[in-house]
Order: sequence, then C-alpha cells, then structure tokens
Amino acid sequence: MPITVLAALVVFGIAGIAVLTVLFGFNKRRSFSDIEDAHRAWLREFPELEPRDITLSQDGCHALVQTNQGAGIVWSMGADSAARLLSGARVEQSAKGLDLRLPDYTAPRIRAALSPDQQTTWLNRIKDTP
Amino acid sequence: MTDMLTYPDVVQLAVPFFIAAILIELLWIVIKKRGGRYETRDAVTSLVMGAGNVVSGILLGFIAWGFFMVLWEITPLDLGTSWWVVALCFVLDDLRYYWVHRFGHRVRWVWASHVNHHSSQHYNLTTALRQTWTGTFTFMMIIRAPLILLGFHPAMVLFCGGLNLIYQFWIHTEAIGRMPRWFEAVMNTPSHHRVHHGRNPRYLDANYAGVFIIWDKMFGTFVAEDDKEKVDFGLVHNLGTFNPLRVAFHEWIAIFKDVTQPGISFKDRLAYAFAPPGWSHDGSRQTSEMIKERHKAANKAATGN
Repeated sequence: MPITVLAALVVFGIAGIAVLTVLFGFNKRRSFSDIEDAHRAWLREFPELEPRDITLSQDGCHALVQTNQGAGIVWSMGADSAARLLSGARVEQSAKGLDLRLPDYTAPRIRAALSPDQQTTWLNRIKDTP
Repeated sequence: MTDMLTYPDVVQLAVPFFIAAILIELLWIVIKKRGGRYETRDAVTSLVMGAGNVVSGILLGFIAWGFFMVLWEITPLDLGTSWWVVALCFVLDDLRYYWVHRFGHRVRWVWASHVNHHSSQHYNLTTALRQTWTGTFTFMMIIRAPLILLGFHPAMVLFCGGLNLIYQFWIHTEAIGRMPRWFEAVMNTPSHHRVHHGRNPRYLDANYAGVFIIWDKMFGTFVAEDDKEKVDFGLVHNLGTFNPLRVAFHEWIAIFKDVTQPGISFKDRLAYAFAPPGWSHDGSRQTSEMIKERHKAANKAATGN
C-alpha cells in the first residue's frame, strides 16, 4: 500500500472515529456520584489503604482522600478513574481551584475545580502530607 | 537459498478492515447499548499509539530485518515456501509469540515496551491497536532466531507474525461473549483475552497466547473467564494521562529512575531492569505474584477455606 494512502487512512480513520465518539456522547467525563463512589474508585487503586476521610470537589470529578500514609487524590480519567498519593506534590492555587503537580511521569498534573472555601480546606489537609 | 522471497505487508493491508471493524463495534454498542464501552480520549490515544507503532516499524524495522538476514546467511537450512512450511511457520511463530509475550509480563525491560498495550481501562477494538513504539529496544527479535536458523525464511516469519497480529485484533472486544466450546478449547478468544487484560488479582499474568490458547494450557498459565468475577481492565496502577508520549515511555523512564537511584547495589540495579515488574529492593512495591498471594490469603481468611 502506498505510504500516502496509508497515512490518509490513518489520519482520517482516527479523526472519523474521534468525531463519532463525540457525537455519540462518549466524551463525557465521569463524575463521582457521591463519597461512596469515590471511595470505591480509591480502593480500586489502593485496596489495602482504607481512607479515613474523603472530600469531593464541586464538580465531583476529584476527591481528596485522607489515609494513614497521608493525603491522596482520586479523579476521573475520562469515563474511568485514577488515584495517587500526594507525597511530594506541589500545590498551586488558581482562579478555578487547585493545580497539583506530582513527581510522577504518569500523572504529572491534576487540576481540581474547587470553590475558595474548598481550596482552603484541601490546602490544609494536603499540607500535612510529606 | 531463497534470498528474494517477498510477502505482502498484511498488517498495512488490514488497516481499512481495522477501521471498518471499529466503526461496526462502535455502532453495535450504541444501538444495542451493551457489548463494551468507548471513551473519546482513550480511543484516540489507542489509535495514535497504533499509528506510532506503524511509524516505528518503518523507522526501526531494518534492525530486526538486518539481524534476521544475517541469520539467514549463516543457516545451511532452507525449508522452502510450500504451503505446509508456511502453516508450520505460523504455528511455531505463535509458540514464539507466547514466550515473547510471557517475557513481556515477567521481565520489566520487556514490560516497559508492552505495558502501553495494557494501559487502557477500556477493552474494545481500539485497545488492540494500542501497540508499542519501543519493541525494537527489548531485543525480543532474538526469540525468532531459532525459526530462521531452522530454515524458515525471514520474510515468511514476518508474514506469519503479521497474520498473528491481525488474528489478535478481533479478540479485543466485549461485544462477543463466548465462542463455540471447541473453538474456546483450541483458539484464543475474546473471553480468554479479556482475562489477560484484567487487573483483578486472579486474572494477572494469565493467557499469554496469540492465536492458539493451547500454549497456556500446556505451560500452566491458562485462566478461564469467571462470569462471577467481571474483568476490571487496565493496569494495577492506572495511568493518570492520555498523552501518547507518556503512555509510550513511562515505564522506560521509571526503570531509568530506579536503576540510577543512589545507595543500592549493582545487583539491585540489574533487578530493577530485568526482574518482574513491581520488584523493589526494599519490598515497598508488589509484583503480580505477591498481589495474587495476598489476594488468595485474604480470600482464605474471609471464607475460611
């Protein structure tokens, strides 16, 4: 197959499939329905690290988790979720919430939408994490 | 000696079929409201990984090809090109695939390349195309050396490898439950391969087969899909990014960081590169074997059996 035909197939194929998934509504981001939903998502990644406390973000896409190993975060990854402990994270405030930068190549930046009150609460809870 | 043998690049020829099959699966899921899940960014990442795999093959394929042609020059054997030789080559190359795939899960150096194929939390036909960009650097082409030394022409071996890859495309789906019993007994199927993509402890490191599931049954790595335990797709620690560059290189970077950390022995540095994924010098991480053992122990404690 000529390389130009292959390249066109690949480019238009990817674009077409992407557009269709958007049209079918498969681009919706998951939000945790409640604390219990976030709890399940956390335990899915850290089954042996039971949370002591969980705080959901405004939009339900992030949850701050307190554990006996410090603070962690579970957040929506597309239709699914990922979770990390926050040890070594840099936290910056932004207009929309908190910007968490992790020393982790697989999860370098997490942006949580939070109200000013929630930002203060989250910052206080995160600051005790080593 | 058959030096100028050529076969079609079947993987490139199959690209239109791949796209059509993905569209059919997508429509099936939309219409039937079952049979799997799609998510835009996940699907795009998988497809970009697939495109990158083709590009890396074009750019780096000469390394494996050069190695194979050197072996072909050395070997005094030439089995020719009759249909039964191609069929035998296909079966033996599938055995080769089983072992490369098993090393891909049990040797971190090889896992660094293969991990991206498992990095989606979805299991649909786009996941099949989430292929490595760094396979050349695992040097697993060495496992193909016996085939060529036995007298199978390199072009035939690569042709069979391409057919193997195409076979594996259709098994990456939740739209197909189970195939007829005789087929499930001999062939790799969506059901068997769902198990392979599972992050549930009982499904870890199982079903390495490419085409014939009999290899797993022969070598003791077969696990049947249990309808009572739905497969949870993805990695033990799922990625927090859809960036294809991070998907492609994250485990190589993790190896580099582990190997170059201060205060560990040379033996530890080697183990960080070549021991099973999850190995650590201080026991702070878990290998899949440890995860399975803990899971078994927890179940035993819970059920008393």
